[in-house]
Amino acid sequence: MESRIVEHPILGEIENGRTVTFTCDGRELTGYEGEPIAAALKAAGLMVHRYTQKEHKPRGVFCAIGRCTDCVMVVDGKANVRTCVTPLKEGMVVQTQYGVGVEPFDRREEGENA
Amino acid sequence: MKRYDLIVVGAGPSGLSAAIEAAKRGLRTVVFDENEKPGGQLFKQIHKFFGSREHRAKIRGYVIGQQLLEEADSLGVEVRLNATVIGLYQDKEVVVKLADEVVHCKGDAIIIATGAAENMVTFEGWTLPGVIGAGAAQTMMNLHGIKPGQRVLMLGSGNVGLVVSFQLLQCGCEVVALVDAAPKIGGYGVHAAKIARTGVPFYLSHTIVRAEGDDCVTGVTIAKVDEHFQFIPGTEKKFEVDTICLAVGLSPMSQLLKMAGCKMEDNPRRGGQVPICDAYGRTSLAGVFVAGDVSGIEEASSAMIEGRMAGIAACEYLGFMEKEELAAQLASQERALDGLRQGMFAPQNRGRAVAETEEGIAVSASLLRHGYISDDEIERFPGITHRAGVHPVMECTQNIPCNPCQDACPKGCISIGANITSLPVVVESAECMNCGMCVASCSGQAIFLVEEDCGDDTATVTLPYEFLPLPAAGTKGDALGRSGQRVCEAEVVGVRSAKAFDKTNLLTIKVPKEYAMKARFFRSMHN
Repeated sequence: MESRIVEHPILGEIENGRTVTFTCDGRELTGYEGEPIAAALKAAGLMVHRYTQKEHKPRGVFCAIGRCTDCVMVVDGKANVRTCVTPLKEGMVVQTQYGVGVEPFDRREEGENA
Repeated sequence: MKRYDLIVVGAGPSGLSAAIEAAKRGLRTVVFDENEKPGGQLFKQIHKFFGSREHRAKIRGYVIGQQLLEEADSLGVEVRLNATVIGLYQDKEVVVKLADEVVHCKGDAIIIATGAAENMVTFEGWTLPGVIGAGAAQTMMNLHGIKPGQRVLMLGSGNVGLVVSFQLLQCGCEVVALVDAAPKIGGYGVHAAKIARTGVPFYLSHTIVRAEGDDCVTGVTIAKVDEHFQFIPGTEKKFEVDTICLAVGLSPMSQLLKMAGCKMEDNPRRGGQVPICDAYGRTSLAGVFVAGDVSGIEEASSAMIEGRMAGIAACEYLGFMEKEELAAQLASQERALDGLRQGMFAPQNRGRAVAETEEGIAVSASLLRHGYISDDEIERFPGITHRAGVHPVMECTQNIPCNPCQDACPKGCISIGANITSLPVVVESAECMNCGMCVASCSGQAIFLVEEDCGDDTATVTLPYEFLPLPAAGTKGDALGRSGQRVCEAEVVGVRSAKAFDKTNLLTIKVPKEYAMKARFFRSMHN
C-alpha cells in the first residue's frame, strides 16, 4: 500500500528531491535524492533491513534518528550503515545485512561463523 | 585547536535559545549537532503549542524552529551540522566528529543541550520490524513524508502518545487503539479528546502481550492489567495492525556530562540520570551548563526558556555581563518558566491524583479513563453556557498553563484572567460575532461555536478540522459525539479557511437541535 504522503493538512504538498534509481538486493527501486535510504525502502514496502548475527531475527527501522542502529544495512559494500540517517544517492547499492555480511545464513557453508 | 567563547552541544530548542542569548551579548558561539538538520524535535511538531503569547503559544512547533534558526543566524551563531560530539574532557575540551574527521575544540564555557532519547518496553515480538518509537513515527511522517504504517496501535497516553496519534490520523493512517497500562490518561485531556472524537478507542489499564508476525508485525494482542500491572487472563484483545508505536517516556541523554565528571544523580522525577544543577543550569563543573531535557524531561517551551537562562548564565560566567544585570535577566526568564510550570500537569504535581480543578469542580473521570468528557459531566464546566445565537463552547476542563483563547476573541467573550491555568469562562455581557478566531486559536481544539436553535429545529456546530480531504459545503455525513460514536445525521453548511486560522479549518455542521451539545466531529459519508 502507498506509504508516501502526497498532501498533508498542515505541511501542505510534500516537497521532494529529484527521483533517483538505486537497487536493494538487486531489485531496481526509485526514491528521492537526499531522503533517508530507509524512507525510500519504506515507500517500496520493504520492512526487513537485516537479520541478527546469533539468532537470525529480522530487524527494521525502530528509532528513525540514527540512535538505535536497528536499521543498518550493507550500502555500497559497507556494512552497518544506518539507513535512517544516510541520504539516498543515485545508483546506491543497498543490501540486506545478515550478521555483518551480505550472504544469507541459509546459503552459508556448514561450520562457517561469519 | 579551535577556540570559542561558548560551545553548545545540540541545536534543538534549548541549545538554539542558549546560543541566541550568548551571541546577542557578543560571545563567539558555535553549536554542534549530530543531525543533518537543526531544530531538534521542533520540526516534527506540527501542532500548535500551548502557553501564553510570550511562550509562543498557538504557533506550530516547526514554525518556532524556523524562527529560532533565523534569530540564531542573524546573530552570527555558527551551527555545525553532521557534527557528533564524542567527548567532553577536562578544561572544557570538546571532541567532535565532522564527517570522517575528528576535531578538538575548546570553549571557555560549554552548554550541553543534548535532549533525550525514547524509552522502550519489551514484550514478545518487540524486536519485529513494524514496532517503532513514537518519535520514529513523527520523523517519518512529518520530516520525510512517509506514513509509518497503514494500521497503527499506539502504546502510551502521555502527551507524546496523544500528539503522535493525532498526527498519524492527520497523515492518513488508521489508529486502531490507544493503549496504556496506567489507569488514567497521562497527557492533556484536550489532546485525548480530539483523538477520541474521531472514533479511536482508548484502552487504559491495558498493555501489549505480544506482537504477532514472522518477519514483520501483522497483529498485536493486548490484555487488561490489574493494579500490580499483571495481565488478567481472559481479557486479551487482538488487533490486525502493521505498526505498533511505543510512546513510553523519555530519558535524558546525559552521557557527555557524566564523561566530563559532572556530579550526577538518578532522579526518576526528572527522567533518569541527570546532572545536579541549579535553576540556571550551572553544573558541578565551573563553566559547564545544561539546558532542556538533558537536565530533566519537560517539553519544548520550557526547554527554550531553560536554554535562554543557561545562555545568560554563561555570559555572566565569562564576564560579558555584570552580576546585577544577570539577576534582572534571569528573574524575567524565571517568571516565564514559573508560568509554564503551573497547573495539574506541573512537575510538582506529577503522579499526584487531582480530584478537583482549581475552581473546585470535580474533574471528568471519563476524560481520564476513556479520553472524552461524558455528556453528563460536560455541563459543570464554566466554558459551557447556553444562550440564543452563536456562542463559544469551551470544553477545556483541566488547569493547564494556556490562554491564547482569551486574546483571540476580538469581542472579549472569553476570559481566563490573571491566572494562566484557570479554566476559560464565557463573558455573558460580550456578544459573539461568530468570527471563529477562538476555535482556531485553541491548541487543544476544545472550542466550538454553537448555535443551539436556528429556529427550524436545527442547530449548527462549528468545529476545528485539520484533516484531508476537507469536506465541502453541502457534504452529508454523520455527526460524531465526544466518544467518537455516531450521534446523528449532519450536513456541512460552511467551511472556513483563513490565514489567521493557521491551517485549522472551521467546519460548520447542521444537526437536529437536540444534538447541539453532543455533536463534536464530522465524518462524511464517503469515509
